[in-house]
Amino acid sequence: MAAIFNLNHPAHTVHWHFFTMSVSNLVVIILTLIVFALAIAIPFPRHKATGSSATESSS
Amino acid sequence: MSAVKDPNLNDKNWTVKVRNRAVGALPPDKLLPDGVPAYVSSWIYVFGVLTLAALVVIIGSGTILALKGPGWWHFTGIGHFFNSIHLWSVELFFFVMVVHLWGKYWMAAWRGGRAGTWITGAVTFLVAVPCALTGYVSQQNFDAQWISTQAKDAMNSIGIGSFFNLTNFGQMYSWHIYLLPMAVVGLVGAHVLLVRKHGVVPPFELPSARAADAAGDGGDVVHNEAPLPEAGASATTTEGAPS
Repeated sequence: MAAIFNLNHPAHTVHWHFFTMSVSNLVVIILTLIVFALAIAIPFPRHKATGSSATESSS
Repeated sequence: MSAVKDPNLNDKNWTVKVRNRAVGALPPDKLLPDGVPAYVSSWIYVFGVLTLAALVVIIGSGTILALKGPGWWHFTGIGHFFNSIHLWSVELFFFVMVVHLWGKYWMAAWRGGRAGTWITGAVTFLVAVPCALTGYVSQQNFDAQWISTQAKDAMNSIGIGSFFNLTNFGQMYSWHIYLLPMAVVGLVGAHVLLVRKHGVVPPFELPSARAADAAGDGGDVVHNEAPLPEAGASATTTEGAPS
């Protein structure tokens, strides 16, 4: 079965002055930043409280 | 048969001391709560438990790989599958752990007596890095050869190459499947118990709400962020929210 991405080559890298990083690492870092921003921005689904357990403290 | 309890023995018996201290710090309803604070209803609070879930998959798939051996994970279809599960669960573990770390850093999660929780989490991250590195060099393939010969220079440069030899498969494999996972699991266990003991850190209060509090007038200000409770204090809970 063929791979989705052809990985049979040396890694692509980005260079910026002294900074060198593989494109794959850069993609993961950017993706992490996006997920972090979305985790803060997207509202968490809420459901209406049913019964007393939804408002009582447990600890 | 029932045990005879001597009340005079209790203050001298170390098991009683340990039990009393453990139950005092973590009573059953605190250790296994049936609700979480309302402010936990946010996606950023989900990433801690996602890290735990990834760790469970890592331990499970790693156990199977250890039992079956390199010949199985390299040369059989199901071995390749479990090898991939192990790799990608590690990738996910670090991904969600970093998001968890960022979230906790920016909400200053060490507030309210939670320094121990923060430190155990940060140390877990640091210990997980060599745990992953020793896994990469234990693969028994050209990738492992490349990584070990590159990384050994880093170890030599800081003077620990003779103790931590990346080209020694037996040593790396022992670190990877026993010593470092034990440390990670132990630290994660301590981390989770400390979260249970001190509670989940609340987000910062909005400046407008803080100003209204200082003026002694809640007025129309919506308090959508909780004030900082004392460590272990209770808060309104929402059943089913993430922890």
